Amino acid sequence: MKFGKLKEESVIAYQSGVGMWAFLLHRITGLALIFYLLMHIFVISRALNGAQTFDKLLAVLTSKPFILADLALLAAILFHGLNGIRIILFDTGVGIRQQKAIFWFMMAPAVIIWFVTAYITIPYLF
Amino acid sequence: MVTFKIARFDSDKDKEPRFQTYEVPDEKEMSVLEALFYIVENLDGSLAFRYSCRGAVCGSCAMRINGQNRLACQTLIKKLGSTTITISPLPHLPVQKDLMVDMESFFAKYEKIKPYLINNDPIPDKEFKQSFKERAEIDEMINCILCGNCYSACTMAATNSDYLGPAALTKAYRFYADSRDTAKAERLRIIDGEDGAFRCHTLFNCAEVCPKNIVPTYSIQKLKGAACFK
Repeated sequence: MKFGKLKEESVIAYQSGVGMWAFLLHRITGLALIFYLLMHIFVISRALNGAQTFDKLLAVLTSKPFILADLALLAAILFHGLNGIRIILFDTGVGIRQQKAIFWFMMAPAVIIWFVTAYITIPYLF
Repeated sequence: MVTFKIARFDSDKDKEPRFQTYEVPDEKEMSVLEALFYIVENLDGSLAFRYSCRGAVCGSCAMRINGQNRLACQTLIKKLGSTTITISPLPHLPVQKDLMVDMESFFAKYEKIKPYLINNDPIPDKEFKQSFKERAEIDEMINCILCGNCYSACTMAATNSDYLGPAALTKAYRFYADSRDTAKAERLRIIDGEDGAFRCHTLFNCAEVCPKNIVPTYSIQKLKGAACFK
């Protein structure tokens, strides 16, 4: 027998509940943080080339585009870390039935910390 | 009038599913399944779909209604809050005809977890006793009607054909946690491994669509814990 397959089938677009999006964002931020970590180790290793060259590099890294990138980095760390705690809770059997509430409970401090940091950072951008 | 956009597929005529539109008079408290009956009786007798009990007990009429897996009999048109209702078969399962999908893989995995009580103890005079507390732990899982909504909505099951899926694992936990069952080690062996409980990444898509409000993730997480410390 021949079977049919619907065209608009996608593995992410079913119910768009918070669990699905939390999983997806967790994966994306996880990959981004691995990439950042490797870059970070590379950048720090440039110190081996002497103090002056490293100072020059640091001057570039504290420029405005990199401050903006730092804010994006902070957002990724906050999401991945706090959602990570949520996932660990599930693995220990805690709060599985309250997963949505726990998600927002974890995201509230993330949003507050990010906005406070952004508020402090804004003067450096202008 | 309510407009129904329904996915049609006939393996003899169509290469891939197409959508056909029907107009159904809107009546109070009409369920989606009743609207499908109206279409078959008055508009198009060739429309194929599964149903049996009409009361959310058998789980036959699981389908994708307005973007979410639901039971057609349990879904009232007025609760959907729109005048256009799109119906397609359960996603990620092969379509046999129109709204009917092939549930072969679903039931093969259900069989794998040995969905029956195993007790090799000598048979007692009256019955295997179970306290209210022992029964309460498996109350939720017993409610599962095997409609396949969760299995179809699970991203992990969709991307890995060997994964047991939320329904089978929920039933696996139902027997694992049953105080009368004695095959606990064997049950853990079946659900262990990367195609067993550990494939679940706690997306909760299954819990979003369950018509019985079961949270399969709870059972799966409990099985993961048991398999870790066995």
